[in-house]
Amino acid sequence: MGGDLKPREIRPGISWMGAIDWDRRLFDELIPLPDGTSYNAYLVRGSEKTALIDTADPTKREEILGQLDGVERLDVLIVLHVEQDHSGSVPLVLDRYPEIEIVSSPKAVPMIADHLGIPEGRITAVEDGETLSLGDRTLEFIHAPWVHWPETMLAYLREEKILFTCDLFGSHLATNDLFAFDRPRVCEAAKRYFAEIMMPFSNLIEGHLEKLEPYEITMICPSHGPIHDDPDFIVDAYRHWVLDPPKNLVVLPYTSMHGSTARMVDHLIGALTERDVRVEPFNMSVTDLGAYAVRLVDAATVVFATPTVLVGPHPHIVSTAYLTAALRPKLKHAAIVGSYGWAGKAAERLRGLCSTLKVDWLDPVFTKGLPKEETFEALDALADGIAARHEGLESQ
Amino acid sequence: MDKWICTVCGYVYDPSIGDPTSGIDPGTPFEDLPDDWVCPECGAPKDMFEKVA
Repeated sequence: MGGDLKPREIRPGISWMGAIDWDRRLFDELIPLPDGTSYNAYLVRGSEKTALIDTADPTKREEILGQLDGVERLDVLIVLHVEQDHSGSVPLVLDRYPEIEIVSSPKAVPMIADHLGIPEGRITAVEDGETLSLGDRTLEFIHAPWVHWPETMLAYLREEKILFTCDLFGSHLATNDLFAFDRPRVCEAAKRYFAEIMMPFSNLIEGHLEKLEPYEITMICPSHGPIHDDPDFIVDAYRHWVLDPPKNLVVLPYTSMHGSTARMVDHLIGALTERDVRVEPFNMSVTDLGAYAVRLVDAATVVFATPTVLVGPHPHIVSTAYLTAALRPKLKHAAIVGSYGWAGKAAERLRGLCSTLKVDWLDPVFTKGLPKEETFEALDALADGIAARHEGLESQ
Repeated sequence: MDKWICTVCGYVYDPSIGDPTSGIDPGTPFEDLPDDWVCPECGAPKDMFEKVA
């Protein structure tokens, strides 16, 4: 199911194309999509040439090919990003328009060959700042690597001051709102998207935001989710997510098998609350990973809470720790708490998985079997340590 | 001093920070990193890095 969507005009001669994936619930077999997603392509007609910016996921090829039925001549296909949800229908567009010029960043050229089987010689590489004239309209290409692959670039339509950003500033949000006027909903979806996809590259995004500062931008057209007709809204949000210091927030991913670890988590939540430290527990047996990831954008501290399975940490927490480190959040402090039946090395092994996290580690708290008085005292001491380190941090 | 980026994983070596995990002091230019230094994120060798434009 996709809906019979025709191209939608954004400005005269500039149209949204693509597909809304209302039913998709998982991306990369990993990232939950509670609100579905969309794949946006954009058609730009100039007085001499017509360009298509990106395509759509190949599962939606019929939609985008149907929308192109009314486009007799297509001169240029711009690939801003080689990931298949945008480039996957490029070979089909190439079949339809065999003379079309394919344009991408130099880094994307071999990647298009590798991922789509299109010969490198068939692709025109454009340098940073290079322009492409469509007659009365001009596209300027802005290299912006690592948002979120090494080859990504942006395209700026000079006359209308529209910035096409592919994944940057996007959101997994299935909606037929062409524009992002439903601010709270878009902000939440865009922050989740940032957390899952962009956060590992925050330091590079900082540079990209600086690079974009001289550009006057009237509209940002991403490849997922609605168009930003008020670009400041999303650019300012990104600035906060990338640059703000972490907040007074502890994320507490946990799993419990027979209740000991859960009892410790309950106690720690109470102890942190008494000390005015914001805390959010996540039961990783049932938690939506994106809901956890989005809180990592702001959190100053992570506390992993795990029982012991065959000497090591519970696999749910292994997976959580691995992802936490991979997303490179701003976390400053970390701790591990949990329980074991007769012996265990859960804390050491978990910490080894997080070696790339730039955090100071507070002392772990573990109990053999049920938590006892000394366990609760150690958790109170941990809460004291966290509260002291969070002093002066803003709550929101 | 220039920042260098790992072409495998996007890690940025910032000489003002160094690489504390490998005992590299702040202020160490990328060029002065030992030949056997590897990306602290993904383990890629030095020749997989590019200067950040």
